[in-house]
Amino acid sequence: MEESVKKLTAETEAKISECVEKADLNAIRVRVLGKNGELTALLKSMKDLPPEKRPEAGKIVNAAREKLEQAIAARQAELERLELAKRLREEKIDISIDIRPPASGGLHPLTIMRSRITEFFSSLGFVIADSPEIETDYYNFEALNIPADHPAREMQDTFFITENILLRSQTSAGQVRMMEKVKPPIKMLSPGRVFRADEADATHSPVFHQVEGLVVDKGITMCDLKGILDLFAKKFFGENTKTRFRPSYFPFTEPSVEVDASCSQCGGKGCRVCKGTGWIEILGAGMVNRNVLKTCGINPDEYTGFAFGVGLDRITNIIFGINSMRTVFENDVRFLKQFN
Amino acid sequence: MKLPISWLNEYVSTDGITPKELADKLLNIGFEVEEIIYMGDGIEKVVAGKILEITKHPDADKLSVCKVDVGEEKVTIVTGAKNIAIGNTVPVALDGATLPNGVRITAAPLRGIMSYGMMCSGAELGVDNNVIEGADVNGILILPEITPGSDIKDVLRLNETVLDISVTANRPDCQCVYGMAREIAAMLGKKLKPLHLNYKSISFEQTPTVEIKDDACSRYTCNVISDVKIRKSPDWLRDRLRYVGIRSINNVVDITNYVLMEVGQPLHAFDTSFVSQLGIIVRKASNGEQITALDERTYTLNDSMLVIADNEKPLAIAGVMGGEYSGITDTTKTVLLESARFSKGNVRATSRALGLRSDSSARYEKGVDYASVDVGRERALALFHQLKAGKVTTSFAAANRAKPQPKTVRTSAKKISELLGIDVKPNVIAKILKGLEFKVEIDGDSITAQAPLFREDIENYTDLAEEVIRFYGYDNIKSTFMSTAKTTAGGTDVRQKNIDFLKTLACNFGAYEISTYSFISKKAASQLILPQNSELRNQIEILNPLSDEYCVMRTQLASSMLNVVAHNFSKKNKEFRLFEVGKTYIARELPLKELPDERDTLIMAFTGEHESFYTVKSAVSEILRRFAIHPEQAEYGKKSYYHPGISCDYYINGENFCSFGKLHPSVAKNFGIADDVYICEMDLSGFISAEIPNVKFAPLPKYQTVERDLAVIVREEVPAGDIIKTARHADPLCIHAELFDIYRGEQIEAGHKSVALSFILSSPDKTLTDEEITTAFNNVLSSLEREYGAKLR
Repeated sequence: MEESVKKLTAETEAKISECVEKADLNAIRVRVLGKNGELTALLKSMKDLPPEKRPEAGKIVNAAREKLEQAIAARQAELERLELAKRLREEKIDISIDIRPPASGGLHPLTIMRSRITEFFSSLGFVIADSPEIETDYYNFEALNIPADHPAREMQDTFFITENILLRSQTSAGQVRMMEKVKPPIKMLSPGRVFRADEADATHSPVFHQVEGLVVDKGITMCDLKGILDLFAKKFFGENTKTRFRPSYFPFTEPSVEVDASCSQCGGKGCRVCKGTGWIEILGAGMVNRNVLKTCGINPDEYTGFAFGVGLDRITNIIFGINSMRTVFENDVRFLKQFN
Repeated sequence: MKLPISWLNEYVSTDGITPKELADKLLNIGFEVEEIIYMGDGIEKVVAGKILEITKHPDADKLSVCKVDVGEEKVTIVTGAKNIAIGNTVPVALDGATLPNGVRITAAPLRGIMSYGMMCSGAELGVDNNVIEGADVNGILILPEITPGSDIKDVLRLNETVLDISVTANRPDCQCVYGMAREIAAMLGKKLKPLHLNYKSISFEQTPTVEIKDDACSRYTCNVISDVKIRKSPDWLRDRLRYVGIRSINNVVDITNYVLMEVGQPLHAFDTSFVSQLGIIVRKASNGEQITALDERTYTLNDSMLVIADNEKPLAIAGVMGGEYSGITDTTKTVLLESARFSKGNVRATSRALGLRSDSSARYEKGVDYASVDVGRERALALFHQLKAGKVTTSFAAANRAKPQPKTVRTSAKKISELLGIDVKPNVIAKILKGLEFKVEIDGDSITAQAPLFREDIENYTDLAEEVIRFYGYDNIKSTFMSTAKTTAGGTDVRQKNIDFLKTLACNFGAYEISTYSFISKKAASQLILPQNSELRNQIEILNPLSDEYCVMRTQLASSMLNVVAHNFSKKNKEFRLFEVGKTYIARELPLKELPDERDTLIMAFTGEHESFYTVKSAVSEILRRFAIHPEQAEYGKKSYYHPGISCDYYINGENFCSFGKLHPSVAKNFGIADDVYICEMDLSGFISAEIPNVKFAPLPKYQTVERDLAVIVREEVPAGDIIKTARHADPLCIHAELFDIYRGEQIEAGHKSVALSFILSSPDKTLTDEEITTAFNNVLSSLEREYGAKLR
């Protein structure tokens, strides 16, 4: 009996360790350990033994059963491990392949830049305001200290609808509307679309965008203008950016300045971007002309203010390195995707 | 304006300052130098050479071999020139020389004999007879006798540097050499030398008269010059005109141009023999009056235009151009020299209306000040005297209208300092202003400054502040942060926030934002096959458009979008979604009497394999849901550019505010689009400025929900969407219903379809029993039976 158990155990163990299929393993289990299995048969045959030997024989058989069950379980686990390893091996893919990304959509670069600028000024207490694109001569010129004979009318070739109605040539038109409605303290930012009769080329477009800023309060100085524009330049062109004021002329400000930022490409040494000057013209600004304040019913002896006008398209092109105004309005999808 | 350095130096010395340094300094006081022009640029190693010998080339009949003294050495030059002789002085380009056209000269053998340079013609050096006599001949330029070895740039007076300066519109006084000299003198702290105004005058038998009949002329003066000898101007004068880009004509015309460039005063010279009784009348033209101008063209004038006339005829279009017959000719003996001031507005309007421009009109348009009239005339008379171009006479006449008074500004150093934000002392302010020819008095802190007459731009203390800071230096402006200003709450308004939100939504649909022009072509209306009576044809027209392509303000965004779509297709871009939020311009009446409505409008365009009416509809529905907008009515689209069976119009308050669907195939063709395009247009103006109402939270179902499917057979024309809507409202327990299939075909009666929907049943306060579920199911079914004659499939 004992011999038979030993033999069966040894044979079965050998089969288990050779087994490579889970199904075969199961077959072994049924054949040896099943209800009619070989080991079960040996157990059953115990009834032929003398009663005093039965407990001993029972122990031997049960020990063999336990041993074989463990061996089967171990083999089972091993086979599963191999099977998983094989599956993982077979499922390997070529990770170098790219597929089209999900269409995520995105904003036009002008909108992206406009949002950044409005957020910046909004955080400094500026109210963002909008005003009409089709304007009267009064708001676009007259109230901005540009009477009919003024040479500044020549500076800007304006599109006219009637003798008195035109496409605004500057967002400054919105200044006057604001100051008519709201009295100081005023901190306003007016981004918008403007129009000038310029043929479209790399640097011109008959449609473009400005962001007009206006501050009117008691004791506002040119140094305050410098302060806010310094902040602006640092925010948009980098922490080390410096600004420079150059005298200029706008009818609605006095004194008037052009503002240059040190070239962020070369740090002011001179490069292709700044045409070797080390400076990039970013905006026009000045102290609000007394006549403009008066026209809007604000006492210029009590209040002073400053105004500035940023060319949104220009800033966008500088920041994103876009080299032609035409590209901006062409709206090629391959262009649009680059900013999002 | 063009500023030759040598001319500038006549009035203020810039010795020791390079043109580049000068340009940098000018930028700081508000004058941008756009270009520094070096006149002789490109000419290097070209010298005067004296021909010592000429022998025939032994191996070439047409060539000669010359020995030429070029100063430090004598060189051999082989030439084919015929017009040279021993003893001639000629320009010689030495070995290694460059010429203005970029040609480089190197020593090389010519038929076996080494030639160490080239003799040059006038053309090769870029000069003509105007620069030096003989430059126009076909051959070598024969120079007057000059020391051999002299730099040809000196010989031809090409060693000039010219600054091309951009002058802002408020400073017409700086549109001339003397005006810039004044600024530069102040800038450098140097003395401005006076103009040469000295001349002797003789008497003349006839005295002119002047009568001004119109306010467009505020001062008119004229002076007779007798014994005029028309001839060539001296080199120095012709050179200066050349440096500023003006062609020399003759001494009289050159003097008028010279004065225009030097002091900014346009002058005009009449031949007195054509001025009846020397009686000048400045008047408006009569309608239809004609004049033949110096350009030999006849102009028909109207009564808004100012003319200079005698008692018989117009002599000149004031400030614009003289008449042909009264002009200077070679036989002119006596000249009536006009120096006058005409209003810039009148000159501009006249010049524009006639399409006639001249150096004079360009200058008047910028503004000529009152004081210049006399300065300019006196300077011209001094030149007539100096050049012996004629005899200045005492025969003079002048008339005025509205003589301007010098402007006086009373202010204080404190006010100026407060505006600038820095402290500037009264004496510093006074010094700067005096340097600019202001008359200044200081009394403690207070300042009284009288502006010179040529400074018409000065009005109040802010103008003085600008003058001060220009010369004090903008470097002194430091950054401060509005310490005196009240705190304000910044931010965007509701409309802008909503537009930003809408754009974010559109991006979430995978759409890219585009930006297009606000004006479009008139052709767009026919491309969109708009009916003649379509409101969209009521477009606002631009009076002066750049081209027909951009001549009307858009009433719809579709045509701009379709052009962009077509452009992208042409670039082989396929499968994309685009959107734009822009304005449409809706006139209340045309022609425009008041400002039009500017309506915020959304347009989207979807194109690609997976796009359909339903993809664009789902985007529209999502936008409307997020803005809590509920269209009251939906109909098949009526707009001409949509496919009539695959498009939809939404209405609110009876207004069609939103249309979407497939582009009409004919319209697609008109825009050159071959693929299917689905578009959506939404007029946002009705809701974009209103706050989006806060969402009211609906508690999540506490109890199990039950899903049931139902398929019914209905007539083909019953809209499936209506069935869903009815199902959704058929029983209070039904909280959601959606379509999952439409089937036509076998087992379904012709003209009918099977609509399968699934709906969700739920109760807020208990788990549903089978009985309740069955009742609800039956309610849904019976509603559909009742409404649409639906039968359970």
